[in-house]
Amino acid sequence: MNTTTVDNTLLRRALAAVTTVDDPEIPGVSIVDLGLLETITATEDGRLTIGLIPTFSGCPALATIGADVKAALEVLPEVEKVTVEWLKSPIWTIERVTAKARRTMATDLTLAIKVDSGPTLCPRCGSPTVEKSEFGPSRCRAIHRCGSCFEVIEVMRDR
Amino acid sequence: MGRTWSSMNEFEAFLNEGGMVEVDDDMPDEYRATVFRFIELHANSELMGGLTERDWIPMTPGLRHKMTVLAKTQDEIGHGHLLYMVAADLGIKTRREMIEDLFAGRSRFHNVFHYPVRTWGDQVAICLLVDGAAVPSQKAVYKDCSYGPYKRILKRIIAEEGFHLRLGEERVLRISQGTDAQRAMFQQSINDWWWPALRLFGPDSKPDDKLARWRLKSEKNEVMRAGWVQKFVPMLHSYGFTIPDPGLTHDPETDTWTCGPIDWEPLKRTMAMDGPDTARRIAEASTAWETTQWVRNALDAAPAGVIA
Repeated sequence: MNTTTVDNTLLRRALAAVTTVDDPEIPGVSIVDLGLLETITATEDGRLTIGLIPTFSGCPALATIGADVKAALEVLPEVEKVTVEWLKSPIWTIERVTAKARRTMATDLTLAIKVDSGPTLCPRCGSPTVEKSEFGPSRCRAIHRCGSCFEVIEVMRDR
Repeated sequence: MGRTWSSMNEFEAFLNEGGMVEVDDDMPDEYRATVFRFIELHANSELMGGLTERDWIPMTPGLRHKMTVLAKTQDEIGHGHLLYMVAADLGIKTRREMIEDLFAGRSRFHNVFHYPVRTWGDQVAICLLVDGAAVPSQKAVYKDCSYGPYKRILKRIIAEEGFHLRLGEERVLRISQGTDAQRAMFQQSINDWWWPALRLFGPDSKPDDKLARWRLKSEKNEVMRAGWVQKFVPMLHSYGFTIPDPGLTHDPETDTWTCGPIDWEPLKRTMAMDGPDTARRIAEASTAWETTQWVRNALDAAPAGVIA
């Protein structure tokens, strides 16, 4: 596939379109800001291949996310065909989540991010939290409790 | 720390002005008890729903559907977990007391979890009609909810239940393209689940409903029910299925579907813990609880700090 000769406005428009796709369970947070997008390649005749990586390999939302990405791209007039590929590498890590997504998750959804550099902080009051359960409602989330304001929160993690 | 109110009038004035109640507030006992019962019922229903999903993991056809059932199971159990923590924080019952009450048949869970799930068609109908009723109900609680910890958790739960509803719509699309036998199976499931799902909204709201007064519900049951009928009748008709309601009417002027008279007896029976599958579900859940006692014993025996 030759990507170097493609007019890069198509790549820019494709990136903008993929960015409009939110995680199906985290409304307001784009899959691009969650770090799921790895590659976009395009041919001159408008065939796009989108390389995505899952947060967890067994994630049940993959088919839905793939369908949403296709739907977002197929409306672009210059796009002939869209292929979505789920890549085996690199492995998704929490560092891939952008600051923008972290802010939205904290303020809109009381959802924290687990980091290696220190304790997880409560999205409401900023105090350290304590893990209460390794698994919450999905494989990429644990359940914590804030030691200060007692909020029950979910914490997104990568392992 | 928390705020206090000198009287119910003062507290209600605070609520009327849009005030949010937090866990450390000295809220009136009646409000505390009402919020607790509401969240406990929700938590119990998530747990009973999760157990049904779990039953279907080995029976679900195809890997893709199986992954979604696995995920739904984890979602429901996870929601139950979060809700039990928030309910326990109100200081009325511990989480263990709530679970023991549930499995002893002493506390309630929603009517739709009192029915047997016999076929994959039932699972499709539940994912569409029951989740399709749960989402607007939860949104109506979330919209203006006065209890902060519940409102914040509901926002995430609604996002996840909305995803389930989308899975339901995909499943319907698929089963409706199936063989005659598969379509007949799904028609039977619509016949069996239409009314239980519709009754999930409950009877018409009373004008003096304290859930509305205390901002634990921002929409009337009959309005949500009418919206549900209006959404699912045309959808199922478009796939060539029929609705098991001989009293269903259509106003061509406004293109509005209205359901016929509703028999509330089955709802009363499930609320009295006497539904078609209540005894079996409770017995199975309580057996599972007893056979996992050793896990709780081990956790209790572990030195502090070993297990968070």
